[in-house]
Amino acid sequence: MEYRDYYKLLGLERSASAEQIKTAYRRLARKYHPDVSKEKNAEERFKEVQEAYEVLKDPEKRAAYDQLGSEWKSGQQFHPPPDWGSGFEFSGGPPPGGSRRRTYRAAPGESGAEDFSDFFASLFGGGSPFAGAGVGAHAARDHHARVDITLEEAFRGTTRTLELRRPAVASDGSLALETHTVRVTIPAGVTEGQLIRLQGQGSPGAAGAPAGDLYLEVHILPHALYQLDGRDVTLTFPVAPWEAALGASVNVPTLGGAVAMQIPANSQPGQKLRLRGRGLPGANPGDEYVQLKVVLPEASSPQARALYEQMRAQLNFDPRADFAR
Amino acid sequence: MVRVSTQLLEAHLITEGDWIAVTEICALCRLEPAAVLELGELGLVSARHSGDAWQVPAAALPRLRVAARLMRDLGVNVSGAVLAIELLERQRSLERRIHDLEALGGGH
Repeated sequence: MEYRDYYKLLGLERSASAEQIKTAYRRLARKYHPDVSKEKNAEERFKEVQEAYEVLKDPEKRAAYDQLGSEWKSGQQFHPPPDWGSGFEFSGGPPPGGSRRRTYRAAPGESGAEDFSDFFASLFGGGSPFAGAGVGAHAARDHHARVDITLEEAFRGTTRTLELRRPAVASDGSLALETHTVRVTIPAGVTEGQLIRLQGQGSPGAAGAPAGDLYLEVHILPHALYQLDGRDVTLTFPVAPWEAALGASVNVPTLGGAVAMQIPANSQPGQKLRLRGRGLPGANPGDEYVQLKVVLPEASSPQARALYEQMRAQLNFDPRADFAR
Repeated sequence: MVRVSTQLLEAHLITEGDWIAVTEICALCRLEPAAVLELGELGLVSARHSGDAWQVPAAALPRLRVAARLMRDLGVNVSGAVLAIELLERQRSLERRIHDLEALGGGH
């Protein structure tokens, strides 16, 4: 695994005070928080910042981390020293080496220690399922993860395969990680930010208590053609000037396939026509709004220029008639 | 030892028509009940009293979860979270409008 320089991640000197650490965290958390940030790789950067703060804000963890020395560089291959952990006690942490990596992503801002790096896990345990096992109490815990789907998948429904790991008692009585693959059906008509509950897929409870649940927060990826707003979608639809002026019957793409639509005569650029119920399905299905974009043919041939000349001569059209004179 | 098993899970979609008890909302969003009610008082969500419990619509969950994350991760208070969410939603609405206008003026 690779060493992580938590001070460098927060832009701090190793001598930084607790107040400076908090200020640096707040500044970077604001910059990279996935709910507000437009930065590239904001989610990944935010998790790194959270991980660094988790260590440096805690005097015990910080002291232990500092004990590794200042010679390490970010990205350098790292293994915890053999005597690592002696003299320190981390609340809630498992024995060193009890790391666990979830194979699904935590929802933005939902990161717990279990979502931190292998480096963190090797030093501090990182929310391993073994955490707390030695002292008995281990409450069931819900987990939250994010799932990205396309707009078409939101329209039709889809399935996702998740690889989950949780502790189980092996035949020799020891604890082992049990991996199981689950296929989750995501129903048609999910919307941005909607939650899906998978009962019993969170952390197991102690002494046979029911396990927590896994919640998947749905995020719909941007689409090349459609803009999504709730359950409604908007499509920008190019039309020829004569289609807008004279009216036309056209085939318009929708999420459920192309449909015929009548463009009324004397339509204007930017005008929106509504296809009722052609957005995302649901108890109150969304609509598709078709925004007309009038595309002018170039006057690149003698015939085209002649037609434009004819319009200029015969239409008596002033596009700036509303301007004050 | 790692054992592998495969399971087909039944997903429960928390739908827009549902009303959810504030206690459940608190677990889903990792919020204190007082914070949920304060977010309601400030107009971020509508709440109703049914039987012995306060309920909020499931459709408000995404907003409440964002509010919870902003409060937890950025240290903003309830008023700050409401203001941030309203401004973020206005920003997204304006971005959609800009996208529409740019699509009208851009190439085809």
